[in-house]
Amino acid sequence: MSVEVDRLAVPFAGVKISSDALHKLSALFTLFMLVGFFSFGNAAFLSVGNGLTVLLQTSVIGLLGIGMTLVIVTGGIDLSVGSVLALSGTVAGLAVKAGIPVPLGMAMGIAVGALCGAVNGIVVTKMRITPFVATLGMMLIARGTALQITGAAPISQLGEAFGKLGNGSLFRMIGMGSNGLPKVIFPGIPYPAILLVVVAVAVGFMLRRRSIGRHIYATGSNEEAARLSGVEVDRTKLAAYVMSGALAGLAGIVLMSRLVTAQPNEGVMYELDAIAAAVIGGASLMGGVGTVSGTMIGAFIIGVLRNGLNMAGVSAFIQQIIIGFVVIMAVYVDQLRSRR
Amino acid sequence: MNAHVTRSRPLVEMINIQKSFGGVHAVEDVSIDLFPGEVVGVLGHNGAGKSCLMRILSGAMAPNAGTIRMGDEDVRFLSPQDARRQGVETIYQTLALADHLDAPSNLFLGRELKTRWGNLDDKNMMEEARRVLHRLNPNFKNLSDPISRLSGGQRQVIAIARAIYFKVKILIMDEPTAALGPAETAMVADLIKQLRSEGIGIFLISHDMHDVFDLCDRIVVMNRGRNVGGYCIEEVTKDDVLSLIIKGEMPDGWRPRNAARTPQTGLSSN
Repeated sequence: MSVEVDRLAVPFAGVKISSDALHKLSALFTLFMLVGFFSFGNAAFLSVGNGLTVLLQTSVIGLLGIGMTLVIVTGGIDLSVGSVLALSGTVAGLAVKAGIPVPLGMAMGIAVGALCGAVNGIVVTKMRITPFVATLGMMLIARGTALQITGAAPISQLGEAFGKLGNGSLFRMIGMGSNGLPKVIFPGIPYPAILLVVVAVAVGFMLRRRSIGRHIYATGSNEEAARLSGVEVDRTKLAAYVMSGALAGLAGIVLMSRLVTAQPNEGVMYELDAIAAAVIGGASLMGGVGTVSGTMIGAFIIGVLRNGLNMAGVSAFIQQIIIGFVVIMAVYVDQLRSRR
Repeated sequence: MNAHVTRSRPLVEMINIQKSFGGVHAVEDVSIDLFPGEVVGVLGHNGAGKSCLMRILSGAMAPNAGTIRMGDEDVRFLSPQDARRQGVETIYQTLALADHLDAPSNLFLGRELKTRWGNLDDKNMMEEARRVLHRLNPNFKNLSDPISRLSGGQRQVIAIARAIYFKVKILIMDEPTAALGPAETAMVADLIKQLRSEGIGIFLISHDMHDVFDLCDRIVVMNRGRNVGGYCIEEVTKDDVLSLIIKGEMPDGWRPRNAARTPQTGLSSN
């Protein structure tokens, strides 16, 4: 366990618990508290159907959050993911509309996302422009491009195949009801949720067990030290931005597929949710700290909050206020922890 | 224990090295060499160019002009990796450690041990780290703590371990004892003597005259980017060295402390 923030010996049944794990446990505890609170308020919250809805809603923020975590751990930030999501989705939509097969069109969308990430990475490493400004520029460029190529109009009638990724699910079981009509026994695990799990496991593995992951942490922890130790700092950062862009592209096609419409206006301010998910999950904007599992918990805290507040009939504006407080509290608790 | 007795070929020669930043000449036409089993003190004010010269040798900085020769070959270090591949290791004054990573990760940073599948071999790295760190400091136990939780001495030990774990021929030590207590300083001194006996050449940058006279075979003094003199340690007194550092020249009417020896210039003969 080489990437733990700081390890303090908490005597807990004779087991040493690192404070990183402690943070994760407390975040997990918060998540369960939220679930308990909302299900107490509304019985429908704890239904299988709503659980899957949360899973579906969280998958997009989760994918963005994983990419964001990679960039944040290198000590950077990627403000462009919301716009890149829109651009990738619309490119995929336009491609499919032009008659390109759906899988190929979607691959083009992801490729465009990766390309945007590569531009971010090159601007940051070669032009030496701070990540905040570089990705802010890309945020405007990608959004403008998405609006320009579509004429700011949504692209609809993309066909059933385009909607499969966002709306389909695995192990969906439909039985015959007593009244002779088909009845859904188990709604199935949505493809976006499966995708999220696969991506989270793969990126988590990369961060922990591959040298590129170790280099990402080292770069964010002490860039000069990493460079002097022989880490190719620029290449490492570039890789992080490319992965963030590609994951934003993936999130884009998932979202557009769910809507079966390519909307150039989608994903505004999603970057902030992604940053919030990473930060709630324990990532430090100073770099060197952050995990995929933490970000997943953070994403689900945001997802559950949104969903639960919606079901409780709380307005979208109040939701923003609450999530704002949660982000500040999460960082405050994190600081208290590292001050000890 | 004087390497000149063996008079073998130098491990490295830096010839007419030049480095400037804008109009500022940080290193001007400096030549310096290092023999196997020799400790050469590189002295000078802050900003005299000694760190800059050493950074050029360690591959962290590219010179504007000049050559570095190792054996019969001219080498060019475009990155720290290039220098390390040739056996040039550096212990930086800042130590250059990643605070959030643990000791084994730092020890192997940039050249991680991997399993057959290309994954990080953390277990093996931990064992190796334990072995090499134990040799330097038997009390080093908390290897899996991040660097940020370790003491200054422990950090220094990791930085040193990183330099000597891999096949080192030339070791550059930039103020290796600045952050250390007396016991740890003695440990570093012992280590330097041991490495010297193994035939490793060491460039020691230090402000501590005691260390310099205790450990070095030869000194090279830099002043305003120039090499103002190289002498065997037996020839000079502390006052001579201070005069070189401050004025850039020897006191008037200087004669070698040990007049039997001929002055050994640090300037290369070619």
